[in-house]
Amino acid sequence: MADHAFLRMEDIYKEFPGVVANDHIDLSVNGGEIHGLLGENGAGKSTLMKILYGLYTPDSGEIYLGDDRLELDTPQDAIDAGIGMVHQHFKLIPRLTVAENVVLGQREPAATFRADNDDSRLPESIRNNRVVKSLAETFSLGLDAPEQRIQELADQYGFDIDVSANVADLDVGQQQRVEILKALYRDVDLLVLDEPTAVLSPTEADRLFDSLSRLADEGLSIIFITHKLGEVTAIADRVTVLREGRRVDTVPVAETTQADLAELMVGREVLFRIEKDDAAHGDPVLEASGLRADDDRGIESLSGLDLTVREGEVVGIAGVSGNGQTELAEALAGIRELTDGDLRIDGADLTGASPRAFVDAGVSFVPEDRLRYGCAEELSVLHNAGMKAYREDRFADGPLLDYDELGRYAESLVEDFDIRGVSDVTDIDAGDLSGGNLQKLILARELDRDPDLLIANQPTRGVDVGAIEFIREAILEQREQGTGVVLLSEDLDEITDLSDRILVIYEGEFVYETTPENADRERLGIEMTGGRVADEPADAVNSPEAVAPTAATDGAESTDSTADVAAAGDGD
Amino acid sequence: MVTFAAGLLDATVQAATVLILAGLGELITERAGVLNLGVEGMMLAGALGGFIVTVLTGSHWLGFGVGILCGMALALVHAFLCITLKSDQVISGVMITLLGGGLTTYFGSAWVEESIDGFPEVTLPLIGEYLVEIPLIGEAFFRSTATDYLALLLVPLGWFFLTRTNLGLELVSIGEDPETADTMGVSVFRLRYLAVLIGGGFAGAAGAHLSLAFSGLWVPGMTAGRGWIAVALVIFAQWRPSRLLIGAYLFGLLDAFRLRSQSLSLSLEPGTPLASVFNPVIDFLTNPQIMGTYPYLATIIVLTYAVARTKGDRLAVPDALLEPYTRETD
Repeated sequence: MADHAFLRMEDIYKEFPGVVANDHIDLSVNGGEIHGLLGENGAGKSTLMKILYGLYTPDSGEIYLGDDRLELDTPQDAIDAGIGMVHQHFKLIPRLTVAENVVLGQREPAATFRADNDDSRLPESIRNNRVVKSLAETFSLGLDAPEQRIQELADQYGFDIDVSANVADLDVGQQQRVEILKALYRDVDLLVLDEPTAVLSPTEADRLFDSLSRLADEGLSIIFITHKLGEVTAIADRVTVLREGRRVDTVPVAETTQADLAELMVGREVLFRIEKDDAAHGDPVLEASGLRADDDRGIESLSGLDLTVREGEVVGIAGVSGNGQTELAEALAGIRELTDGDLRIDGADLTGASPRAFVDAGVSFVPEDRLRYGCAEELSVLHNAGMKAYREDRFADGPLLDYDELGRYAESLVEDFDIRGVSDVTDIDAGDLSGGNLQKLILARELDRDPDLLIANQPTRGVDVGAIEFIREAILEQREQGTGVVLLSEDLDEITDLSDRILVIYEGEFVYETTPENADRERLGIEMTGGRVADEPADAVNSPEAVAPTAATDGAESTDSTADVAAAGDGD
Repeated sequence: MVTFAAGLLDATVQAATVLILAGLGELITERAGVLNLGVEGMMLAGALGGFIVTVLTGSHWLGFGVGILCGMALALVHAFLCITLKSDQVISGVMITLLGGGLTTYFGSAWVEESIDGFPEVTLPLIGEYLVEIPLIGEAFFRSTATDYLALLLVPLGWFFLTRTNLGLELVSIGEDPETADTMGVSVFRLRYLAVLIGGGFAGAAGAHLSLAFSGLWVPGMTAGRGWIAVALVIFAQWRPSRLLIGAYLFGLLDAFRLRSQSLSLSLEPGTPLASVFNPVIDFLTNPQIMGTYPYLATIIVLTYAVARTKGDRLAVPDALLEPYTRETD
């Protein structure tokens, strides 16, 4: 049984328009194993699991569970095969009760009609009649027996849940336990958890790990998706690492280290290097202290950040996405409300000011989602180019807008920023441009104003190599002109190439600061994923076996940090 | 005054039946996440279809059944557009209302001259004779057409269906979060079709009641905005069958009062103090056109109150209302 995998996904290939999400991935999971699935956002983890759950159909590839080949066209097929899934964003209906959420789709008939109800007044022959059965399953609903069973399951695994409570009244930890109960109620053999700790506090996460260990001990196979190294080393038996839609490796956790995993996960290809001159740093343009803000779901995602950016300084913020970067960028651009903290631009207090006040104060913003927040897809290049500048006097024609002047302005931006695919600025819509050219258009709009502060969130994500180079050089040019830049990126090369100072953000806090000269990839990778670092007491118990292989690999690259990394490598 | 009140109540019950039927159907459709603004058109189709069949066959019930089918036929168009083609539910619904109005005016022109004996008014078996004797409300509630009783019966049935059956639970779940329902093995597409068809059938029944029991005539455009009131009624009821019943009687009362207010002078006597101040106000408030807006005003007030009270977190509106469902998107 040990070498005969319980679940095998073979050669899975899935393409979305323009993106290969899963590029011939193999995955095998043993019975009773907790298998970590590690990778950055966009690495293809969720797609792979949605295929396993019948939500997506793979373009090619096969799935075997036990000895059966599975054809998974709908989630019902996956449920029937014994696969359960706890999604990252809970699949719960807040208005319904715990029991209703759990039994949804199971068609539990009223007690009188239950086949296993010995007290029923209806004779068994009638209850077992196919027509009666099907009618009862459609037009009645019995929650007493299911509630009892859910309660038993909850007690068995130590979940404190009121089965008749509305889901809306539960906290996130409880809601997650309802999700697990949903799967257990369906007698699954394989449970998939998609980033289950993303919404949990550390204590709740520990409780979850306890529960998962108990479930695995009872023979349940578990796939645990995460981008946090500490979690993988804490509970997984083996781990499969994905990067950019491909499987990089599958390794037993006992034989690896957090440093190795970080390297596998982040990768180390260097596209190119940019030469940058030393710029003189002037007065602070941005002074933020104690910033706190919530994400769209109302969960705190910035937990008291301090950040100062000076004229001509590029501050690079590294981190795995989902650790507060979006909220930080939006807060600095004035479009996300702060729950606490102060924000000064060029010395002026702009805490709580309107987005326009930030624009007027010289803040430019390149959002990460360029289609949704960076442009108006269905408006022309002219409209998009003039979206911030239109209020300037030169575009006024009495009370009207001077479209001729705006047109000339848009054309000059297209020219200066080498935006391709624009035959006519009034005719071509922003949405018609390729990713790189659209990003150049947004950058042109934001940079032509000679901003004092530029906030660029993932400015080169998903654009082609040529545009990447152009965009990076444009950012450095701003730096030489004395603009303060906040650069948020998941690309470590970009961060180290462009920044004067590097901060690592993890779970809404800056956990590490360094400079490009002193930066060490391994260390950054570990900090980004919440890995342990040398001076924490837990590392005192390092075993020699775990240290030895890490030290050997890392020694070649960065001798000065070997000790840190080796120590950090041994999780649990 | 007592005769006026009794007559008013009787008219209220009749007006309410139309609203209960159409509103209940709309409520079920909306709970499944589909807005049906075609109620008015579906009601007209049901009214004409039911009327023609009753004229031809003499059977009220056959006519009523055909009315239901006519409503469902238009509902099928709405379902195909909104669920299969994922087009905009508002546009599709308004289009169906216009389509229903146009088609019934054209095909109904030959039937305008006809008239039938409406559904007979009956009393309930056994106890009916005694119930009719109840002062004031007896005649209004307990000597009614079979469709009036049917509408009343359907309200608790609708509640039971939505809250106490597996099918209802699944239907509500696709209106709240179709993706979740899908992951639980619920067929979103099939159930949304079902919900829209139920809604269309109820609207057709409401229309058939209008021509077969309420008036015994076919008049083009005879629904006179009642379909829109049914849509407003669902919001007024905050998507709950029990409140829908209350709302239907309230709106039915306003409707009945509007038609009868002319015969009743509410103005103060000329000699009364402040009569010159109040009389124009009273005349304005009891103007039939102004009274016709009351159901909508009441809906706005209820909606405002509900929003203010819940601060937007947990409105009763189904979460996925107006959202088409596609599985493979991120």
